[in-house]
Amino acid sequence: MVKPNVCILRSDGANCDEELYYAFEKFGAKPQLVHVNELRNKSKKLKNFQILALPGGFSYGDDIASGKVLAIELVSFLGEEIRNFVAKKGLVLGICNGFQTLVRTGLLPFNNFGKMDVTLAQNDSGHFECRWVKIKNEKSKCAFLNHKDPIDIAVNHGEGKFYADQKTIKKIEDENLVVFRYINSQGKPTQKYPENPNGSINAIAGVCDPTGRILGMMPHPEKFINITQHPNWRRQKFTKPHGAFIFEDLISYAKKN
Amino acid sequence: MIFEVRVKSKAETDAKGEALLAEIKKTLNIHSIGKIQSAKVYRLENIKKEDLIKFSKIALYEEIDQIATYNKPIFPKTAKVLEVAYKPGVMNPEVASILKVSNDLKIKIEACDSSWEYAFFGPVSKSQIEKITKRLLVNDTVETLVKQVPKTLKISGTAQKVQIIPIRSFNNQQLMDLSRDKLFLNLEEMKVIQSYFAKIKRDPTDCELETLALTWSEHCGHKTFRAKLTIDGKQKESFISRIKKTAKNNQKLIVSAFDDNSGVIDFYDGWAISGKVETHNSPSAIEPYGGAMTGSGGVFRDILGTGQGAKPVVSTDVFCFAPPDLAAKDLPPGCLPPEYLLRKVVYGVRDYGNRVGIPTNNGSIHFHQDFRAKPTVAVGSFGLIEKSKAKKGKPKLGNLILTLGGATGRDGIHGATFASGEMTDRTINVSGSAVQIGNAIEEKRLIDAILRLKEENLICAITDCGAGGYASAIGEMAKETGAEVYLDKVPLKYTNLAPWEIFLSESQERMVLAINPKDLKKVQKICETYNVPNNVIGKFTSNKKLIIYYQKQIVCNLSMDFLHDGLPQRKMIGKTKSKYQNNKIRKNSKPINIEKIWQKVMAHGNVCSKEPIVRMYDHNVQGTAALHPFSGQNFDGPNDGAVIRPILAKPYGLIITHGLNPQLNSIDPYLGSVWAIMEAVANFVSIGGNLKDAALVDNFIWPFPDEESLADLDKSVDACLDMANLLKMPFVSGKDSLSSTYRYPTGKVLKIPPVLLISVFGKIPDVSKTGSSDFKKVGSTIVLVGKGDFGNLGGSAYFDAIKSESSNIPKPDLSSATKVFSSITSGIKSSKILSCHDISEGGLATALAEMCFGGNCGAEISIKGFKYPDHQILFSETPGTFLVEVENEKAAKKLFAKVPNTILGKTIKSDTIIVKGSKTIKVSASSLKNSWQKPMKEVFNG
Repeated sequence: MVKPNVCILRSDGANCDEELYYAFEKFGAKPQLVHVNELRNKSKKLKNFQILALPGGFSYGDDIASGKVLAIELVSFLGEEIRNFVAKKGLVLGICNGFQTLVRTGLLPFNNFGKMDVTLAQNDSGHFECRWVKIKNEKSKCAFLNHKDPIDIAVNHGEGKFYADQKTIKKIEDENLVVFRYINSQGKPTQKYPENPNGSINAIAGVCDPTGRILGMMPHPEKFINITQHPNWRRQKFTKPHGAFIFEDLISYAKKN
Repeated sequence: MIFEVRVKSKAETDAKGEALLAEIKKTLNIHSIGKIQSAKVYRLENIKKEDLIKFSKIALYEEIDQIATYNKPIFPKTAKVLEVAYKPGVMNPEVASILKVSNDLKIKIEACDSSWEYAFFGPVSKSQIEKITKRLLVNDTVETLVKQVPKTLKISGTAQKVQIIPIRSFNNQQLMDLSRDKLFLNLEEMKVIQSYFAKIKRDPTDCELETLALTWSEHCGHKTFRAKLTIDGKQKESFISRIKKTAKNNQKLIVSAFDDNSGVIDFYDGWAISGKVETHNSPSAIEPYGGAMTGSGGVFRDILGTGQGAKPVVSTDVFCFAPPDLAAKDLPPGCLPPEYLLRKVVYGVRDYGNRVGIPTNNGSIHFHQDFRAKPTVAVGSFGLIEKSKAKKGKPKLGNLILTLGGATGRDGIHGATFASGEMTDRTINVSGSAVQIGNAIEEKRLIDAILRLKEENLICAITDCGAGGYASAIGEMAKETGAEVYLDKVPLKYTNLAPWEIFLSESQERMVLAINPKDLKKVQKICETYNVPNNVIGKFTSNKKLIIYYQKQIVCNLSMDFLHDGLPQRKMIGKTKSKYQNNKIRKNSKPINIEKIWQKVMAHGNVCSKEPIVRMYDHNVQGTAALHPFSGQNFDGPNDGAVIRPILAKPYGLIITHGLNPQLNSIDPYLGSVWAIMEAVANFVSIGGNLKDAALVDNFIWPFPDEESLADLDKSVDACLDMANLLKMPFVSGKDSLSSTYRYPTGKVLKIPPVLLISVFGKIPDVSKTGSSDFKKVGSTIVLVGKGDFGNLGGSAYFDAIKSESSNIPKPDLSSATKVFSSITSGIKSSKILSCHDISEGGLATALAEMCFGGNCGAEISIKGFKYPDHQILFSETPGTFLVEVENEKAAKKLFAKVPNTILGKTIKSDTIIVKGSKTIKVSASSLKNSWQKPMKEVFNG
């Protein structure tokens, strides 16, 4: 089967692009690092890709708000291209700063391009958190995820608290847009720190849009692609690095569709 | 006209305000304030009125959780409001982003700024506000309280003229007046300059004098390390040539040592790894946040400036401070409180490293009273580069001088000369401009672009603009060729800079490249893709002269030979004066309660868990960590170093560890240095590293070299050589910073403890053959490997805890050291060693407890076999000894047959640690863990 082309969108301050590249490559896709300037000057075209992936990092220093400057840039210059990409069944994955950016473009959670409905606010702890947590894939509209067991995963962020007014949260829940929640050792969604590292409402760690083809998440699946990336690989046996569960499902869906 | 937009959270409280309130309660003991809220203030100059609200709504605030006001206060009148902004001229990194957004939105703004406002609710007096402002909120060096709306945000002015200094007519007093607070040269050096200009029959420009002073500064010229030495009456080789000789210990590993911005050694498959550790003590002492940031930025650029551009893949941080609870009365005038320094330095490292996306995976913090006048802030970075591009490039005649990165401002003027001087109560006032603010994203852009330029083979030579800015970078690069520089081509932050200021400014995030003129277009195109400003500012020549033009006027015309070789080699004399000649021993004779003391030792600053700090550093970015700082059942068992897998698709590992012990260096500089090296190396081995695949990096952070300190330094250097030769390891990079001296207004001198920081970096073919320190199983066997010196506890955390003192410090058994190390290395390689932890500060007791924390288990050991009191066995700190977990006694006997070892006991499924000695000691592991975790949780509010 043809390897799906992945556009890994770089911008000034993106810094998880290389491990994301490696993840896509390892699980059978064909990634390319593309700077936003290359889309703006048309030397690269989004329509040549099946997956658009926004990596973690600090795009433009997270100045004003995390992902804000890049979101404005995307809406201002690449609005049409992105709308077409989504309409033509392209898949979008935003991780960490990529998720913050998607939220600020309005693509998540309601696919309201140009209108922001939820935010990722500063962690309750008030600072950056670098630790490993567990998340669970919920029954959701996400078009491609099948794996249901708890996933060990890294979080590395200062602004990851999923927040919206009650009405919006209810709508997100009612429409089954919550894809991942932080869970405790019993496998239950939790508000307790540090299992829930940022205080996200309803322990929300990732959401999709109503088409199920745009996924955003704060934790980093691309940082558990080799078993030796886990802090406890020496004491815990893993048959597979858990990031595989997300990339395998995403890539195999892209191949089929 | 300036428009103001204020933005705050809709919530009743916000993290920034709460953090400040907590700090006020803790540091200033002020409890009357009920609440503090923060708000962001944006000032936009000459934006159209109709654009203001549109721009604010799209760019500046989010209605979901924020509110905004326009040109009016956002807080009620009842609150006392303070606004803190960067001083005009200090770069605010956010400004460029705001202007980019306005540009993207096609909304015109002429200039802008952003700042923070704090609103205090509840009773707060004027004197309290002053205290809060001075101690916590505003660092005068770079920040200011905004009292009224500025008239304009644009900085303008006319360029200052070039000064000619009539140095030929100066007498000695006039020469020294010129040097003081500005050039930091001694009379002999000033006279060499004077006679040079007498010989060429003209007076120097300010630019020439400044360039000479910079190149000859201790910071750049390393005068002490190159000096001819007489120590205790004996002639000795210079420090630097002694250290360089260690290359012979493992020549085939070395790619380049001491002739590039970092040391480079072989890796696998045609790759090489490089390492550099820098200190940034002086800037961090007066502006810890900016100082730490620019320290990180500088060392990353050192890696980037290695060969034709190495990729920084990991960073390390080692700090020494006074204890956080230092009484205010003990703080020397002009110095900042240690708890404030600690927090701000940590935040600086966090905010720079995390943004650039270079993981911070290894480090430590040490505390000692005598760091109260000046902390030690060491930042290391390690990189990856193709071996074929790993050697320093040489510029050729006709190559262009291309500058990449940030614009040049007045920031950091005199940074290098300032770092070379001793600190006094005047330092903070006189040298304020020596501090820069970093812009991590500017650096990230540079890294992205330069790595691309390297890939495309477009770089002939590269170096970073660090201390001394262009003067140092271009002066060094063009040493063999000569250069012509046109200062008017340098992009400036504002126009009123004198030519010498442009040339010497230490504005951050700039690199200098030598490129072939035919490649210029390609280079420019790549730089544009990554939004990296690039300007050709001159060319390399062949006349061995440094000629600088400014608006067609020659402002500098110096011969490279004089610039680089005119500095007379110093002759220095050292004399040993041992503080402990009379074996000063203060013994605490009270009966010892080991259970209680154990808790105290665990809570000692040098022993306690640094996890709250580590969790704020991104040690996971790049996905390369193969041994994290903490691992174990609850992710809280500390490891001995870092393993990085820099190429994700390959199993190869880069191991990084370090060691230092300022306490012991103060007592015995030779043995203290032996300790530091043994500790660094033991950490490396304890993970599974093989010493034949590793190199050493030195950092000497020493008091100003008077006769006594010079003799001490000589002993430390000798220790480095003796150990490097014993272990067959080379030094490949190093740095000296000889200004750890503080002079009180009364003239009294405080010598800051001498620090020898040793970093080890090396390779391992397969990261899956490395170990961690957490106990893996219940019922396995615990072995002490190596010979502990239980007779000497001088300088230990234990002695500190019981308030004893002794000059008898631990002596490692060097005769068995290499065998011990190789037994550990091979035991880990064969997976026979399940876990391993080296014994260092806090002794065997601490190592055992930490292994239990990671394993979430207990242990039962017997120490009856040693003929020493229990407390000495448990708390002595012999470097190069290890606690090791193996399957059973049989395995232990097989692995360690040829080295000193003692089977101590077993791991048990319990929360208890049982030690059978002259008495049986039982301690709960979780209570020890609480004591161990508490101190830094308190400093960092959990």
